[in-house]
Amino acid sequence: MTLFAWLSSILVAVIVLTVTAFGLWWERKLAGRMQSRLGPTIVGPIGLFQPIADLLKLVQKEPIIPQRADRALFWLAPPLTTLFALLVAALVPFGPKLAPANIDVGVPLIIALGGLALIPVWMAGWASHNKYALLGAMRAVAQSVSYGVPLVLTALVPVILAGSMNLNSIVAWQHRHHWLVVWPVFLGLPAFILFILAMLAEANRIPFDIPEAESELVAGVSTEYTGMHFGFIYLAEYVHTLVGSAVASTLFLGGWDGPFGPSVLWMVLKTCLLFSVLYWLRWSLVRLRADQLMALAWKWLVPAGLALVLLAAVWTQTPWGR
Amino acid sequence: MTLTTCLILSAALFSVGLYGLLTRRHAVGILLSIEVMANAANLNFVAFAHYGGASWGQAFALFVLGLTVAEVAIGLALVMLLFRSHKDVLVDLANAFKH
Amino acid sequence: MTFTATMIVFALVGALAFVGSIFTVRSSKLVHAVLWLGVTLGMTAILFVQLGAPFLAGIQLLLYVGGVMTLMIFGVLLTKRDGDSELKTEEPSRERGALIALAVFAVLAGTIWLGRDALQRTAVPSLGTGWLGTSLLTRHLVAFEALSALLLAAMIGAIVIARRRDPDQPSEPKES
Repeated sequence: MTLFAWLSSILVAVIVLTVTAFGLWWERKLAGRMQSRLGPTIVGPIGLFQPIADLLKLVQKEPIIPQRADRALFWLAPPLTTLFALLVAALVPFGPKLAPANIDVGVPLIIALGGLALIPVWMAGWASHNKYALLGAMRAVAQSVSYGVPLVLTALVPVILAGSMNLNSIVAWQHRHHWLVVWPVFLGLPAFILFILAMLAEANRIPFDIPEAESELVAGVSTEYTGMHFGFIYLAEYVHTLVGSAVASTLFLGGWDGPFGPSVLWMVLKTCLLFSVLYWLRWSLVRLRADQLMALAWKWLVPAGLALVLLAAVWTQTPWGR
Repeated sequence: MTLTTCLILSAALFSVGLYGLLTRRHAVGILLSIEVMANAANLNFVAFAHYGGASWGQAFALFVLGLTVAEVAIGLALVMLLFRSHKDVLVDLANAFKH
Repeated sequence: MTFTATMIVFALVGALAFVGSIFTVRSSKLVHAVLWLGVTLGMTAILFVQLGAPFLAGIQLLLYVGGVMTLMIFGVLLTKRDGDSELKTEEPSRERGALIALAVFAVLAGTIWLGRDALQRTAVPSLGTGWLGTSLLTRHLVAFEALSALLLAAMIGAIVIARRRDPDQPSEPKES
């Protein structure tokens, strides 16, 4: 690895972590405003240091392990969830040159790593030796397997149009032509929406958060977790949404492409905007029932995804799509 | 890392898988062992592709991946069937053509 | 012989893959066995990257770790026996199994050792993912189509087998 590659990796890690810390505060502020509250105001100016206070509180708490829990897996699962969610970030290009891992198979790897994040979630649920946690874990598995299919299908649309699985090349293609949601709009926009839905389901967020439906499953997989372990699980879900937003911006919203200014800012801006919209959804929508969730995936999203892939393939053969 | 070390590693993985295949009685455990063996075979294909002479090794490895996925799907369906008829999944229970 | 970073990574990853496979076949808890299989498969994916096959590595993670492992987890948990929460596995012929496996390994390793001169090959740069895709749809088209037909057959077969119900059990409730 060259010095530049090292520097860009470090820079990307700093960007992701900063956006994460700031995003935690932003989420609570946004949620507060949407519910006619102020959100955090005490710690720091306009509550800006609240995430740090939260972190300190979580670290201080006693980690409690249930007596009949599978100790090794119970300990291992939460850090792994965060690790896998963060791994994906390394593959996302933040600028034409600012891509830590600029590899030819970026799209399959991103989807694979995103799907991998499910295994530690399941481990956490199983190791807890708690029926609610196990139910949550099994739901997470079923959900992730089902929604992985439309996720792959919709990610194929930009791949087919740009003719590359390299994320940087896909952005460069959008730079040369149009952002995918803009044109071809009948392909880009539905693919974008389907991708967002499938991504939300993979990250177990509302309206697809049945693995931790608190009204039926206590807290799902995180039922038995305390202190920093709970923090890791919470953080992982959060990073998953954030990185998912970054991936969606890269694939469909032109990534680092912008009319002026440095490309990193455009990427961060798009990611944060998308992230805010996802949180807006979170605080406005209700949770789907488990069977409705499965019906949505297999009866609507998968056929729609297949149709989009077919259309994209046809489009590249028309005079406009060449 | 040479072709020889890759092949030795793959042979070791294959033998471990074989051991599992011979000693496990739980049907899912047998499926797991078969996965280990198929994985070892795949490693061989990719190694030969990398070290010259067999450029189609990667394509073949892809076919093996597809085949094992199909095998797991069918295998698990059979496990479910076995469990439903015997309330257990030890393979030596499956000794009749018809239940 | 000098030690390079590639060799160290290979040694570490290979050792982990081997340890993972041992635990896969020896774990008394099947759930642990499934997770150890995940370790073995993941490590093999890293080896694939080292061997110039990053696309295969991605597919390996996507299909095996994402798909097969989750299916296995379902398989383990849905077939849990009553009063046996540990899912212990019985091993009737451990010694015989070990003996046969060792014999097979000895034969394989011996063959590789005898042919070590013929195996002195230098690495060739990978032809790339694009070439792989092209070759799948040209040179290996028949095999490719046969595989898709096989997958379809396997899917239908799995559904048919798994849906067969006991006559005494009530049929599945209709979706309202």
